[in-house]
Amino acid sequence: MGTPERDADPQHPDARRSLLVCALLGAAVMAAVDEIVFHQILHWHHFYDRSTTAAGLVSDGLLHTAELLALVAGFFLFADLRRRRALSPAHAWSGLFLGLGAFQVFDGLVDHKVLRVHQIRYGVDVTPYDWAWNLAGLALLLVGAVLVVRAGRAGARGERLP
Amino acid sequence: MTAGDAPFGPAAVLACALACAAYLSGALRLRRRGDAWPWPRDCAFTAGAAVLAWGLSGALPGGPFTGHALRHVCVGMAGPALLVVARPLTLTLRLLPPGGLRRGLLRVAHSPPAAWLLLPPVAAAVDVGSLWVLYRTGLAAAAHHHPWLDGALHLHMAAAGLLFGAAICQLDPVRRRRSTALRATTLLVAGTAHAVLAKTLYATGPPGTAFTAADLRAGAQVMYYGGDAVEVALALVLAVGWYTAAGRRLRRAGGAVRGRARRTPPACPEADGGRATGRLSRPWAPGYGRR
Repeated sequence: MGTPERDADPQHPDARRSLLVCALLGAAVMAAVDEIVFHQILHWHHFYDRSTTAAGLVSDGLLHTAELLALVAGFFLFADLRRRRALSPAHAWSGLFLGLGAFQVFDGLVDHKVLRVHQIRYGVDVTPYDWAWNLAGLALLLVGAVLVVRAGRAGARGERLP
Repeated sequence: MTAGDAPFGPAAVLACALACAAYLSGALRLRRRGDAWPWPRDCAFTAGAAVLAWGLSGALPGGPFTGHALRHVCVGMAGPALLVVARPLTLTLRLLPPGGLRRGLLRVAHSPPAAWLLLPPVAAAVDVGSLWVLYRTGLAAAAHHHPWLDGALHLHMAAAGLLFGAAICQLDPVRRRRSTALRATTLLVAGTAHAVLAKTLYATGPPGTAFTAADLRAGAQVMYYGGDAVEVALALVLAVGWYTAAGRRLRRAGGAVRGRARRTPPACPEADGGRATGRLSRPWAPGYGRR
């Protein structure tokens, strides 16, 4: 993590900001992939499931809009990091995986199970799909966690990761 | 009234064509006298006027509700957003000679009521709130039977769309500039309210109307995804504004800027309209941006 003096210096990588911006991008990309692949290409999810509660509808609308805005904001924040030469690639990659995994797990637990906005697939036993979904999310989170530890160690040694 | 009927027909087309001609000739006059006026603004205004004219007068495809949703996206969202991006008020103020008319227009633009209406949450409440009232009360059914009410509603939708776009993009000179965070949050909340309304329309139509289920579903999806497209466009305007302003701050601080340096030197110290200095200059003044 950058000290205040380092953050103020535009020539130095800003590890924390690199991680956060890429986590935002990762979550937005995973949300977009989910919507495009499962809603629009496979038609597994439904556009609107009549059992959806009001809270589910609002959370779904909020997530959908946030995903669009986060894609735009993430892209410009990333460009700003590069422009200031403040991008730390190692932290950026770890943030991306953490974002991808966090959204996948959030969608699998909160949207599918708690709020029951929609299920992964209809007319079949959904249990194996749920397991696959959440384990994939956990795997992504794990990759992100490993990368963030490696990036932190390399940063402490003052190395630059490729 | 069905979606195939035009609320205004030829009058709407004529009004849009006249507005477009006025804008293009105004931009031409500016360029002839040496002012910079980027051509994408001309394209945006022309496209906005065309979208508005098509939405107000064209025979829209699909069933009655689908046509209605398409008209809503064109007249209330896409058309106004394109017009706002073209900065029509800045153009008008730059063209008007110094005098009563320009002072009057400025007084209106800078008046407290205009500042209130242009406060992003207020503009969003007016725009998306009236949409909820239209579809979730008997208003949509009433407009079905009274063509004048339908016409008035479309005019209101266009005006509310312009207000919302102006409040979010903040490209024209206004009394108070609002922060990027406030405008982005407002866009998020308004987009959510729009998406939720579109999804509920998928299952239940406006009260007092009898659209077929297939028509409702198609219309709701047009509204949902059309709204997405306009939201992304507005978000891009916001993000480009932020990126440009951040770049300006960075250059002033003497920070490293990757890639090429600024291609053209600043035309005058207030070339950004005073945003960098926090002091509003007068980008509509004659000769502004010329050096």
